[in-house]
Amino acid sequence: MLQVGRTAWKTVEWVLLAAVGLVFVFPFLWMFLTAFKTMPEVYQFPPTWWPESWQFENFRIAWSSGPFVTYVMNSILVAGGILILQFLIAVPAAYAFARYRFPGRNLLFGLSLIALMIPSQVIFLPVYVEMSHWGLVNTLWSLILPFGASAFGIFLLRQAFMQVPDEVIEAARLDSASEWKIMWTIMVPMAKPVLVTFGLFSFIYHWNDYFWPLIMTNSDSVRTLPIGISMLKAAEGGKQWNVIMAGNMILVLPILVVFFFAQRHIISAFVYQSK
Amino acid sequence: MHKAVAAPELSGTSNQAAEVPIDWMERLRPYLYVAPAMLFFALFFFFPIGYVIYLSFFDWSLLNLEEMEWVGLGNFTALMAEEDFWQVLGNTLIYTVVTVGLGILLSFMLALWLNRKAKVYGIVQAAVFSPHIVSLVSIAMLWMWLMDPQYGLLNAILEMVGLPGYSWLSDTKSAMVSLILVSIWKGVGYNTLVFIAGMQSIPKDIYEAADLDHSPWWRTLTRITIPMLSPTMFFLLVINTVSSFQVFDTIYIMTQGGPVNSTNMLVFYIYEQGMDFYNGGAASAASVILLAMVGFLTWLHFRLMEKRVHYR
Amino acid sequence: MKKLQVSMLACVLSVTAVLAGCGSSKEAAGTNTQSGGSTAPQGQTASAGKPVEIDFWYALGGKNGEYIEKMVKDFNASHKDIVVKPAYQGSYYENHSKVLASVSAGNQPDVTMVEVGSIGAFADAKVLEDLGPYANGAEKKYIPGLLGNSYWKDKLYAIPFNRSTPLLYLNRDMLKAAGLDPNGPKTWEELRQFSQAMTKKEGDKTATYGFSTPIDIWFYEALVFQSGGKILTDDNKELAINTEAGKAPLEFWTGMLKEGVMKAPPGEKYNAWDVAKQDFLNQQVGMIFTSTGDLRSLKENAKFDLGTAFLPANKNFGAPTGGANLVMLAKSSDEEKKASWEFMQWMTDTKQTIPFSLESGYMPVTTEAVESEDMKKAYEKEPNFQVAVKQLEYASPRPMVPGYKELQEVIMTEIQRAVLGQASVDEAIQKATEKGQKLLKK
Repeated sequence: MLQVGRTAWKTVEWVLLAAVGLVFVFPFLWMFLTAFKTMPEVYQFPPTWWPESWQFENFRIAWSSGPFVTYVMNSILVAGGILILQFLIAVPAAYAFARYRFPGRNLLFGLSLIALMIPSQVIFLPVYVEMSHWGLVNTLWSLILPFGASAFGIFLLRQAFMQVPDEVIEAARLDSASEWKIMWTIMVPMAKPVLVTFGLFSFIYHWNDYFWPLIMTNSDSVRTLPIGISMLKAAEGGKQWNVIMAGNMILVLPILVVFFFAQRHIISAFVYQSK
Repeated sequence: MHKAVAAPELSGTSNQAAEVPIDWMERLRPYLYVAPAMLFFALFFFFPIGYVIYLSFFDWSLLNLEEMEWVGLGNFTALMAEEDFWQVLGNTLIYTVVTVGLGILLSFMLALWLNRKAKVYGIVQAAVFSPHIVSLVSIAMLWMWLMDPQYGLLNAILEMVGLPGYSWLSDTKSAMVSLILVSIWKGVGYNTLVFIAGMQSIPKDIYEAADLDHSPWWRTLTRITIPMLSPTMFFLLVINTVSSFQVFDTIYIMTQGGPVNSTNMLVFYIYEQGMDFYNGGAASAASVILLAMVGFLTWLHFRLMEKRVHYR
Repeated sequence: MKKLQVSMLACVLSVTAVLAGCGSSKEAAGTNTQSGGSTAPQGQTASAGKPVEIDFWYALGGKNGEYIEKMVKDFNASHKDIVVKPAYQGSYYENHSKVLASVSAGNQPDVTMVEVGSIGAFADAKVLEDLGPYANGAEKKYIPGLLGNSYWKDKLYAIPFNRSTPLLYLNRDMLKAAGLDPNGPKTWEELRQFSQAMTKKEGDKTATYGFSTPIDIWFYEALVFQSGGKILTDDNKELAINTEAGKAPLEFWTGMLKEGVMKAPPGEKYNAWDVAKQDFLNQQVGMIFTSTGDLRSLKENAKFDLGTAFLPANKNFGAPTGGANLVMLAKSSDEEKKASWEFMQWMTDTKQTIPFSLESGYMPVTTEAVESEDMKKAYEKEPNFQVAVKQLEYASPRPMVPGYKELQEVIMTEIQRAVLGQASVDEAIQKATEKGQKLLKK
């Protein structure tokens, strides 16, 4: 009897698990299915589940509606550029915070933590004015520079550096390696997992970013993919949801594919922040 | 964080202690190392914060930055007298309270359920998490399509089970609900996984002791799990609140603040005032108010973090 | 600009490569390429300078946007000394935000489209170049009815480009099926009757609505004009909608909505327009208000006999004009301004405006174009295209004060409140007036 109850409960739980999974996955599936439908099929009620015929054409229309090669390149340049800059800036800072005791250290570290909390949306207006004074608006620099110092990155790396055993560093110092060299050739490789974690987090975050490029760019040569995609909205005679969804697939699919293969890394990258 | 206090510190100069003259290079080294980071923070965080406060005392417009007129607190009093601004503040608060409250509650329950070893749970965890890493632009457009009152999937499903269609984004009452729904859908996976990580770091022996005592599950929950998770919960509370305060993408793409201002919230309001209506003064004053709200939360966060560090 | 200079210089230095190398590159698509300006004195010809590069921002997406890109390409091909770089910026208002922000940043375009109601705001902020000295009377070639929004404080700041008026679009098949005049209703009362006749219910759901319109400021303006009123007083200092004529449109709409014969399409701003057009194409709505600019694409996508008509009259016919004008920015250099003027003139000239009109549905902007044989032939074949031009006789400019964008949002918000049943017509108008007055005083 107990056995039967348990099986029944198991079945119910499986159904519930499937339902929860579907709630989060099905919308993406719907994006995929819509992307292959024809316009009349999109505007059919009740909707068809499966496309009557698979319209790869939608992807071509979306792709050719703007210079998408440029958008993709810019997205990579921006997300990649930010990552490199953050890396170059965060490593020495984290090293200093982790391994040195110096007057003002706590203050400076506290300031970085404040920067961690203030979202860029809050101060976009003054940063825009600032960028405009420097003549950097509508350049890739205006998308990269404001994110150059990552408080989160400094924070993560500092913790990683603190966990490196002192003996390792002592040994290196006895070999009369310079501090600079110790930092890059000993500490950084030892912090590799954290670097991967941080890299994934940063890249995904900036790949997805819409707000900042929306504010800062006004020509196709510097626009990123999310902006290009959002411009698909405009068309006469009703929204072409099939084309819009096809365009969004271009933005979403790479991330989901990477997520599929590097789930554990990505999840820990995002969740790590909480620790 | 607390590790910072406990970690062994190495003075950079300790090895060269034999040298008599003070090695200025070694003294300076940590400052040089943190200098680039501090420069960037100064340029892109602290200076802008000061600058926006400064700007909020002027009547100005992006159209003509040379002509700025000092108005003192005029922008703030004007905002306070503006009925629409209060509505914007109210919207922001409602959105935040519901998104954060419901989001955390839901994800806590999900975490309790999904925090198990078997593979299915891992798969469902990943599924629940997946929206979090997708661009909000795509999510906004996707949900706009799902919520289309005539051709959208959601109303099709409602109709299939015999319910009337919902107005979603097109009605003043339902538009806010819809935005909250999207935001919870996107955020719940992150919260859940943070909770799960928190749960897994609770020492097993505490639970084992509870098992020996035969205490019922709800007592274990209220006496062990929830208290042990309180730092996690607090962290999520702050992170979620701050990110709810700055909601923009979904509003910009899905509702443009409407219908009838019912989904107009702070960052969108700032954008609209600054970039659409040429009211730099109102926009910067609203930015300062938002900044104060976020600043207060940050302060609260640090205060409680400090406490937590001392406790352990 | 810099990059171009460098590549130009490189080309000049290797003289033999000029024809082969530079001629093939897109930016320097000319054989008279050589050094110019003050930096590189080694060029030998003084008459032909290096091409002037100008930025042109536009705000039409989809097919119309593609056609604009094509026009720019044609211009570049036929003008060796000017290179126009087009950039799409989203809707009119998104474009405005971009222009505004870019002016402060100093990377503003040289020529851009500005929605007609906002010309005043841009001119008032001294962002626009006075076109009088360039035009020298050349503005007389444009249809006078389209110049209403071109002047600010008696100076010419803009020339008409993609100009529209709202039209009543008809599904003639549905009209005929309901036994109605396929030429559509002529008055508000007829519009109501037609809508009643065309609305079909299935159970408690409405399968087809007779009429739908986005609750947009533009259509509200139209209905106020039709009722003999106006939005602003003549001195532009007060809102004039707290009148019979200001309330009539709302009473008309709310009445039809209550009867269930009109649909207010859901969605904010341009989203509501999209819904209205989609409903119309799907034959779920028999008649809609929308812009002439949608004519071509609706015509192409409609699977029924599509007709257009004047907006029905209340006391009289009436409609605002709309669309966008071309403006030149004051911050550009003299050289760029000269090139800009040439470009603006070319884009709006008879030769270009005729095909642009026929490709899109926007009105041709020169008198010569309207009277041309080409246009007449096209109108004969497709009379729908002529309706807008004919309606111009009854059209007025859009209201124009520097803060009109914010003002129109305020009015729109309040009239939507009335349409959604959150406020009575009187309350809504009262509220709009109060808020509007406050803005006008600023």
